[in-house]
Amino acid sequence: MVNLEDLKKEARQILKDGKAKYIIGYKKGANDLMPTPAFITKPEDAEDLVWNPACFHNLTHFLVDEKRRKAKEKEPDERPVGIVVKGCDSRAIITLLQEKFLNREDVYILGVSCENTGVLDEKKLAKKIKGKKVKKVEFDEKNNFIITTPDGKTKIPAEEILAEKCIECKANFPVIYDVLFGEKVERNIDNPFKSLEKIESLPREERWTFWKEQLDKCIRCYACRSVCPMCYCDECVADTINFAVTADTTAEEKAQKIKWVEKSPVSSENFAYHLVRAIHLAGRCIDCGECERACPMDIPIRLLNKKLEKEAKELFDYDAGFDPEQPPLVSCFKDEDPEDFIR
Amino acid sequence: MEKVLTKKFFPKWVEKLKSYKIYAPVKENEHWSYTNIDDPENIDLDYPLTTLSPKKIIFPQREIFLEFTASNEGGTEVKEILPAEEPSVIFGVKPCEAIALTLTDKVFSGDIKDPYYWKRRNQTTLIGISCNTPPSPNCFCVSVNGSPYSKEGLDILMTDIGDKYYIEILTKKGEKLLNLAKGLFKSPTANDKKNTEQIHIESKKKIKRQIENIKKIPPKLKEMFDSPFWDEESMSCLQCGICTYLCPTCHCFDINDEIASSSPIKGKRIRTWDTCQFPDFTMHSSGHNPRPDKASRLRQRILHKFQYFVDRYQNYQCTGCGRCISFCPVGIDLIKVLDKVSDYGL
Repeated sequence: MVNLEDLKKEARQILKDGKAKYIIGYKKGANDLMPTPAFITKPEDAEDLVWNPACFHNLTHFLVDEKRRKAKEKEPDERPVGIVVKGCDSRAIITLLQEKFLNREDVYILGVSCENTGVLDEKKLAKKIKGKKVKKVEFDEKNNFIITTPDGKTKIPAEEILAEKCIECKANFPVIYDVLFGEKVERNIDNPFKSLEKIESLPREERWTFWKEQLDKCIRCYACRSVCPMCYCDECVADTINFAVTADTTAEEKAQKIKWVEKSPVSSENFAYHLVRAIHLAGRCIDCGECERACPMDIPIRLLNKKLEKEAKELFDYDAGFDPEQPPLVSCFKDEDPEDFIR
Repeated sequence: MEKVLTKKFFPKWVEKLKSYKIYAPVKENEHWSYTNIDDPENIDLDYPLTTLSPKKIIFPQREIFLEFTASNEGGTEVKEILPAEEPSVIFGVKPCEAIALTLTDKVFSGDIKDPYYWKRRNQTTLIGISCNTPPSPNCFCVSVNGSPYSKEGLDILMTDIGDKYYIEILTKKGEKLLNLAKGLFKSPTANDKKNTEQIHIESKKKIKRQIENIKKIPPKLKEMFDSPFWDEESMSCLQCGICTYLCPTCHCFDINDEIASSSPIKGKRIRTWDTCQFPDFTMHSSGHNPRPDKASRLRQRILHKFQYFVDRYQNYQCTGCGRCISFCPVGIDLIKVLDKVSDYGL
């Protein structure tokens, strides 16, 4: 089991020694259930760190922010940023390393193992405890989550309220870290693509109807893109404006910006946005599930990414985010590729 | 004027409103949504809070302004498109959502009254239901001049008093709806009235969250424009549009020409929602962005609601529905941010 005190101690020490400029972790949020991202700069504030089954955020998104901020600084602090990551989140770091977006020395990784459980699904929990107010959520040693409500403590087997992504998790402990908290528990997943079975079994027309209904709900708040550590492009096809404009960009160059996706939240544009995003995540998505969790309209975005993860596995035997030395899937080819056009 | 309606007669009333397009809260998976309904039996007025407020009906995310076609002889043919003539009724409007519309009314009533907004606004009757229990754990209407049984902006206010609804008719528009089903309504007894008053008083006590020192906030914000506070508070912000798109009072928009064919050039001019939280909202064509970072964008959201709007319209541009808090993926809590503003040492 992860000992939170060890995590705090390590964080405190790193900050004391000046080994990291700050630490990204979780701290208690305004709502009792969900912790909120913490950015800790003072050693004494390491005391605020928490680790519990509601630490679902993938904090690696903030490494993208950090890189952007640093690029604007005249005399940047070159020390690494400390970050608390779960297994899935650590795979995001590996993907960012593969893509040379990050350098290994930019991050000091405090890995936490999910061991035999993972993080909870808020909706499953709400159903289970019939909407009661949650005061506290904790891990126990026997793969249960302990939920405190005004009525007292309840022990719920983790599997009953685990997030879908955790049920299909391929990395229950971090694959890259500087310090590890908790145990490397081997866990076998029967079928990492189980959530796809239902939708894949439907005939094409029904799949179309399903996705049309789902994507028509989209309000284009772009929370899925905003929360995704892989959506770090300076320019995105979904934006009508070219962010790469500088004072030297000519009027002609600006005019040439193609509008790929209109702002109208209609089927065609919503499909264009979501499919472009899904394709761009093929072989990159590490299934942290944050896009789906953030979506206010309950669109099952994870299914789209999961499908492409499966394609990458079946066609190229590729698992994203496990080996920092491996080239990214879509920027490499193999001599033995069956398609001629690639040679 | 006050009436009572036995609950089992409620669907009968809705049936009499055939000439109107009816919207009511409907449960879709885990969330509630104001949806156009055909069967009055589907209306359930005992519901928590919809993801989107009735803003989505009065100020839809996509509004077509006009259609244009370039003719071969030169010149462009332009056809104005106004919202369809479609008298509508929205049932189950929460008091904070109706107040929100009265705030948006101010914005769309400058020198030019926005014809698209007002067409929909004027043809829609709002039937509210008072919140006997807070529809969300993050409700804080009482902190921002609201109340769970506020009548402001509504045409009718209904209160659930057990086996019947206590009905307060507030406008001519509301009266019209009652007149279509006169026989169903009865005059309230003294007891009905007393019950309603009691429920209203109790409902206010059930609201758990509040902003401390709200009065202190607008002047304080004026002094905090350049404060590092915004850098700290915005660290965890993702820059998504959830808080503003779900907000019943946020009303910013963008206008784009969407081209359907390039020869001849044909297309539509369309208004869509936009948000100050997106980096492209303030991006200039030179490449300069006057709100270049997360801090300046979070500050804008707070200052617009609690300083600029107050200066201009003498009211907060927030009605305390709590959606921005409940739906924020990283847990940025408006109430906590404002409490920190009041305590912030300058």
